[in-house]
Amino acid sequence: MPEPAIETVNLFKQYRGRPVVRDLSFTVRPGEVYALVGPNGAGKTTVIRLVSGLAYPSGGEVRLLGGDPHADGSVRAGLGAMVEAPAAFYPYLSGRGNLQLQARLAGGVAEERISEVLELMELGAASERKVAVYSLGMRQRLGVAAAIMNDPDVLILDEPASGMDPLSLHLVHRVLRESASRGTAVLISTHHLEEVVSYCSRVGIMEAGVLIDEVDLRKRGSRYRARVSDVHAAVAALQVQPFVSEAFSRDKELVFTLSDVERLGYVSVVLGSNGIGLFELTPDVFNLRAYYYERMARSGGRTAQAAQPGVPG
Amino acid sequence: MGMLIRLELSKWFHLSSVRFSLVLLVLLPAMWAYAPGIFDVYGVFLVSGYQVPALSLLSGMEFLFPLLVAIIAAELLGSEIAFGTLRATLLRPVSRAQWLLAKVLVATLMPFFVVFFVLAVSIIAGLFLGFGPFVGGTGLGAGGLAGQGVTTAAAASSEVLRAYAIAAFSLVPVSLLALLLTTVFMNAASGALATLGLLIVSSLFVVFPWLSSYLLTTQLNAYQFPFHELTTPLILIAVYAILFAVVAVFVFERKDF
Repeated sequence: MPEPAIETVNLFKQYRGRPVVRDLSFTVRPGEVYALVGPNGAGKTTVIRLVSGLAYPSGGEVRLLGGDPHADGSVRAGLGAMVEAPAAFYPYLSGRGNLQLQARLAGGVAEERISEVLELMELGAASERKVAVYSLGMRQRLGVAAAIMNDPDVLILDEPASGMDPLSLHLVHRVLRESASRGTAVLISTHHLEEVVSYCSRVGIMEAGVLIDEVDLRKRGSRYRARVSDVHAAVAALQVQPFVSEAFSRDKELVFTLSDVERLGYVSVVLGSNGIGLFELTPDVFNLRAYYYERMARSGGRTAQAAQPGVPG
Repeated sequence: MGMLIRLELSKWFHLSSVRFSLVLLVLLPAMWAYAPGIFDVYGVFLVSGYQVPALSLLSGMEFLFPLLVAIIAAELLGSEIAFGTLRATLLRPVSRAQWLLAKVLVATLMPFFVVFFVLAVSIIAGLFLGFGPFVGGTGLGAGGLAGQGVTTAAAASSEVLRAYAIAAFSLVPVSLLALLLTTVFMNAASGALATLGLLIVSSLFVVFPWLSSYLLTTQLNAYQFPFHELTTPLILIAVYAILFAVVAVFVFERKDF
């Protein structure tokens, strides 16, 4: 397993004696997309600022690409980030002018690469226009372009979807997926729970400055549910199989997670050899929104009262 | 570091305060050179082009130059905060200290730009009066505008240049104080206003004779001091400037953004 590109250990931050992040430990490895979700004021943005070196921790540790982003600014050479929503630029410069200025601060980025990321974010036609006339969505896309133009090892984006239309949102998700597939460690904060499931590896749920839960969506992706003739016998039969990491019953259905998705066909063989009838087999799509509300309700915080399934967040 | 300074200078002329200041700084010399009621109001009768820069400097250093210098210096950092570009910049592999030092250097150069811009406009405004020898004074040497007989062109230009250079230098601590206070308040308006407030309060301390000669506001008059009395004021100006710059970097290094 590769070394974490982002690592926090017992991270603590307080402002004027008021804790805003408490005892927070998590890692993001190369190739992972880690999403921080939680209600407003949960501390997501503070975590992002602490990890990117903009704010100093009151306690605990932050490691970015193996270094301390506060003590050693050079580790930020491998960082691409957008920490303002909307993304911030000099309004009197064009989109391209802003990227050129940031490229000089980043230690130099080829003009061809700047053109490439502008095209990628569908800003090619608007690249010579002043940012002052850009829409909110265009500024956000320019922010993503600025963050990825130096091919970073770590990409940190605070609310990248803020103010974006569905097509722009889809574009950003694609960029994040592609960045991760090239080995970039991606950390984002977001409120878009449905989309998170489609491109994130892990989700950290924050509440009142505390990481109350962490969900590994990759494991959830290989989970299935089945209607069978005898649920208890099916659970017992699958629990002993080496390619099944977990099997349990839920609402009179069999639920199991495969450690090797290629072996899905063997499930029916195992059940059949044990005399168990298999009537229906479907992927157990993870409902992050429902899980999130349930987790909020369990945490008992302020948001628990507002956390009702089906309420848009 | 050179790249950072070039970047800072390139941003300079986009600042609204700089553009507004340039307009005011053009108006000031023009007013002295062409105001029809100048003799009736001030009892001044201009006889040489050298007297226009002198009057611009004497009037500007009263309030306008410190005000504009404080506003521009505060906006050097304040505009980054207002645009939100401060964080985007600090995310790049540039040390905070280096980045603020680039701002400090630009804030140090800026009073020279302001003051010598006024000198250039004043010279143009005074062209119609001529720049030859004249009977009277520049207003910046012995005898004031009345002078002590004939003033040669060389003596007049030397007096004017010397006064402008010292005035610009004395404004450097004002500029750096505004930058420092903007790093504290993270707001250009607060930084500029706090600077002016401190200057006004500081000027009241002249009632303590033992303190008077060390006040920053006292040093703002150094351009009028005789040559042999300049050493201490110039040292004090440098000390104030270095102190404000060091504290600004210290505060900025430790800020959460």
